[in-house]
Amino acid sequence: MIRTLFAATLCTFLALVAALPTAAHAEVPVRVRVIKGSRQGPAKVDPRLEDLRRQLSPLAYVRWEQVSEHRMDLERGRTQFVELPDGDSAALTLQERHGDTVTFEVALTSRNTQSRLTVQKGQRIVHQVTGEKKGEALFLTVNAWP
Amino acid sequence: MKDCVRYAPMLGAREGELTEEEQHALDLHLQGCAGCRATAAELAALDGLVGESLMARANARDFAPFVDEVMARVGAPGLAPARGRRGFLGWFRTHPRAALASLVPFVAAVALVVYVRLERGGESGPMASLEIATEGEVTMVLQTSDGPVVLLDDGEHS
Repeated sequence: MIRTLFAATLCTFLALVAALPTAAHAEVPVRVRVIKGSRQGPAKVDPRLEDLRRQLSPLAYVRWEQVSEHRMDLERGRTQFVELPDGDSAALTLQERHGDTVTFEVALTSRNTQSRLTVQKGQRIVHQVTGEKKGEALFLTVNAWP
Repeated sequence: MKDCVRYAPMLGAREGELTEEEQHALDLHLQGCAGCRATAAELAALDGLVGESLMARANARDFAPFVDEVMARVGAPGLAPARGRRGFLGWFRTHPRAALASLVPFVAAVALVVYVRLERGGESGPMASLEIATEGEVTMVLQTSDGPVVLLDDGEHS
């Protein structure tokens, strides 16, 4: 009987140990940057946004600069807010995570907009967060596991 | 004669088997009965012979190696340590139901590990497409190899 209990306890422990890595990855570290795109002026990309050049190049905005950068750990279902220069904020929520694939929800309350975007590790989300004003617009870029 | 019949069973009694009254009555009877005295003497002699015989046989036996022999039997392979010799598998053979019951959580643990590994393995491949669901005023989503680009509605321009 004691051996049975011992064996059961040992197996339960092994199962927990096997499940621990999954639990340990419940949080997803993300790098969030607020960037500004302008239609006017000479084409220029902030050196800090060099990794985004290919993703931004199809857009009509030619001048890009980084406004702010935030690093945070997102937990599933827990919303975190990113302050925007205009006083508004963007809500960022980790919806799902399967291995190296994550689904984020970007919500803009001022525009009543919600976007659910699924990306893999190494990919980035570029989401416009303000309407265009005088040829300029703000974007939010999210990179998981930076 | 009647008294002899009464006291005859008491003649072979050992010390302490008779009450004080019975012992006193038997002594009185023996003082006046030569036949019962002779019988009692024979029984006492026989008892002594038997005792001496038993003592002689006991003394003839050598108990010196007794402890060593017992310890040798206790420690002999094939007796007490048999459980250890059989080991864990032996325990499984002697307790099949308990062994089966103990295997259930083990199988469950293995299944969980396999499930987690398979889930991770299945996710390691490239995504065929991005799942994008939007609500509100999102009007355009560009899918690039670096990730999606979401552009807002031009109607919000001010």
